[in-house]
Amino acid sequence: MAERSTLATMWARVQTWEGFLVCVLIFIVLMNTALSPQFLTLSNQINLFQLSIEKIIVALVMTFVIINAEIDLSVGSMMGLAACAFGFLFKAGVDPVLAIGITLLIGLAGGALNGVFIAYVGLPSLVVTLATLIGFRGLARVLVEDRGITDFPLWFDNLGQQGLIGPVPFALIAFFALCALLWVVLQRSGFGRKTYVIGTNREVAAFAGIDTARHKLILFTASGLVSAFAGLLYAARVGAVRGDVALGFELDIITMVLLGGVSIFGGSGTLVGTLLAILIVLNLRNGMALLNITGHIQTGVIGILLIASVLVPRLNVSTLFGAKKHEEGSA
Amino acid sequence: MKTLMTSCAAAALLATGLSTATIATAGAQTMLDGGESVDMVLLPKFLGILVFDQANEGAMEAHAELENPGELLFLGPTPENSVAGQIEIMTTAATQGQGAVLLSNNAGDQIVPAAQAAQEAGTRVVTWDSPIPSGDGEDVFVAQVDFGSIGVVMADMAHSILGGSGKMAVLSATPDAANQNAWIAAMEEALEDDKYADIELVDIVYGDDQAEVSYNRALALVDQYPDLGLIMSPTTVGIQASAKAMQDEGLCDQVRVSGLGLPAEMVSYTMNGCAPEFALWDFRDLGYLTYYTAYGLATGQLTGEIGESFTAGRMGEYTIEEDPSREGARRILMGPFTVYTSENVEAAAQ
Repeated sequence: MAERSTLATMWARVQTWEGFLVCVLIFIVLMNTALSPQFLTLSNQINLFQLSIEKIIVALVMTFVIINAEIDLSVGSMMGLAACAFGFLFKAGVDPVLAIGITLLIGLAGGALNGVFIAYVGLPSLVVTLATLIGFRGLARVLVEDRGITDFPLWFDNLGQQGLIGPVPFALIAFFALCALLWVVLQRSGFGRKTYVIGTNREVAAFAGIDTARHKLILFTASGLVSAFAGLLYAARVGAVRGDVALGFELDIITMVLLGGVSIFGGSGTLVGTLLAILIVLNLRNGMALLNITGHIQTGVIGILLIASVLVPRLNVSTLFGAKKHEEGSA
Repeated sequence: MKTLMTSCAAAALLATGLSTATIATAGAQTMLDGGESVDMVLLPKFLGILVFDQANEGAMEAHAELENPGELLFLGPTPENSVAGQIEIMTTAATQGQGAVLLSNNAGDQIVPAAQAAQEAGTRVVTWDSPIPSGDGEDVFVAQVDFGSIGVVMADMAHSILGGSGKMAVLSATPDAANQNAWIAAMEEALEDDKYADIELVDIVYGDDQAEVSYNRALALVDQYPDLGLIMSPTTVGIQASAKAMQDEGLCDQVRVSGLGLPAEMVSYTMNGCAPEFALWDFRDLGYLTYYTAYGLATGQLTGEIGESFTAGRMGEYTIEEDPSREGARRILMGPFTVYTSENVEAAAQ
C-alpha cells in the first residue's frame, strides 16, 4: 500500500509539465551519450551553451514577459541593433568601454519605448513589438549598411571566445547568474507574484492596487536592456557584426519559453520550466549536429516538439485517466 | 627507410638555405596519392539550392576517384538560419575532428572564431564560391573565376550575338547589389574598346532578382526600345525570366537574351535560340577542385603555401597563389568562364 502511494506520488510528479520535461531531457542526454563519444566532453558541453548563449539569456526575461500575458517580438532586432550600434561606435573611434555603455542605454531606451506604448498608450504588445522588430532592424542596417565591421579590441573578442574561469566563458557565467537572480525575483518576490497576477487578469490586478502599467514598463525595459546585452555578447563571440545579426532569433527564444510550459495567455509557467526547455532544445540540437543531422530535419524536430508542447497539456492527461477509471468502475 | 632518408634530405635542404627550399617547393608539382582516409564536410550557404547540390556532386566524384575510405558529408543550415547554422556546423566539425570543412561562406567574418577554433583542432578550412572576407581562419579559397574578367566575357557574348553592332540593355538584380554593379561596370569598361564601337548600351534596369518583376521589366524594355537587339542579365534569375518573357511574346527573333545563367534552367531557351549564348562557371568542377584541394591539405600532402602546385584529377594543374582582392589571403583560381551554346548546354544541364 505504501509502495503504491510512493509510486502514485512519483507518477503525479511526472504528470506535471516540469516532470515531463525532466524525463524528456534525461532521455535525450542518455541518447546523446550513447550515440556520440564526443557529447560528454567538456569542450562540447561548453560549445553546446555557447552556440545559443545569447538566445537563452533573452529567453529568461521573455519568460517574465509572456507570464505577464504580453509578447516581445523585437528582441532579435534589438540584439542586432545593439551589436551594430557597438560596431558603428567602435568604428567611429569611440572608446570601446564607453561604446558598451551607450549600447546598453540604447537597449534600455528601446525597451522603454516598447513599454510606454504598451503600458501607457494601451496598444497590444504584438503590434508594438512587431513595429519595433522592423524599426530596430532597419536602424541596425542603416548603421552598418552592407559591410561587416570587425577587428574589435582583443579583450572584447576574448571575453566572448575564451574561458574566463578555467574554460568557462563569461557569457555562460552571466547566464547562470541571471538564472539564479531571476528565479528569486519570479518565484520568491513580490514583483514575481505581481507578474503572475497581472498575467492572469490585469483588471483584477489593478483593482487590487497593483500599478500594472509601471510593472509592464519595467518588464519591457528589462527585456530591451538584456537583449542589448545579449547583442554585445554575440558581437564578442563572433568578433564581427553585420546588419543581419540575430535575424529571426525571436522565434527560437519564444519557442523555448513556450516549450517550458509558459502559457501564451499569461498567468502560468515557471523559470525552471524555461530552463528545462532550454536544456532540451540545446541538447537535442547538439546531439543531432554530432550525428550529422542538420538543416531542415533539425528545424522539423524542434517544430514537432513545440506542437507537442502546445497540444499535450490541452489533452489533459489526468481527465483521460479519470474517465477510464470511471468506465472500469461502472463495468 | 626511404621515407626517413627523404625527410632527412629535405631537412638538410631546409638547413642549407631557405631560398633553395622555396625554389624546390615552387617547382614541385604534387600528384596526390589516393586511398588515405579523411572525413570531410561540405558546408554550403544553405540547403535547397541547385548549384550547391551540383558542387556536392563534383565533390562526390572526386571522393570516389581518390578512393577515400573516409566519409564526405553534405551538411548545411536552413536559409533562415544560415549564419548561426554555419557557425554551429563548423564548431561541431571541429568537435568531431573532421579532416576538413569545405565552406561556401555566408556568415562574413562572423565565422572567423569558429573557423580558427576548427583550425586549432586540426581541421583544414577550404572555402569555395564565397570566401571569408578577412581571410582569417581560412587555409585557401578556391575561386570560381577572376571576377574582373566577367566584363570582357559579357562584352564578347554581346558582340557575338549582335553580330558586331546593335543596341543592348542590362537587366540586373537590385541597384545596391555590389557584385552585380562591379560586373556591369567591368562590362562598360570593356565596351569602350574599339572592337565594340557599334554596340550601344541603352539602359540598365533592375528586376530585384524576382522572377515576376524581372519578367515585366524585360517586356517593358522591349516596349521602350523597339530596335533593341539584346538583353544582358548578369543574374541567374533575371536571365531566365527575360528569356521566358521573349519566348512567351514570340520576340526571340528580334531580341536575344544573354548573361549569367544555369545550364539546367537555360537549356530550352538556348536550344530554341532565345538565349543563344550565356556564361557561368561549372559548380560541379568547383566542388571537384575544392575536394582535391581539401583532400591534399587534410592528408598533409599539400601544405597550403603560396606557389605550391598540384594536379586535380581530370581538371589538371593548379597553383596556390596570393589572392589579389584580399590582402594576406591565398586562393586557387579555377579559371575561365564556361560559355554555353547549343553545342554544350545539353550535356551541362544534366
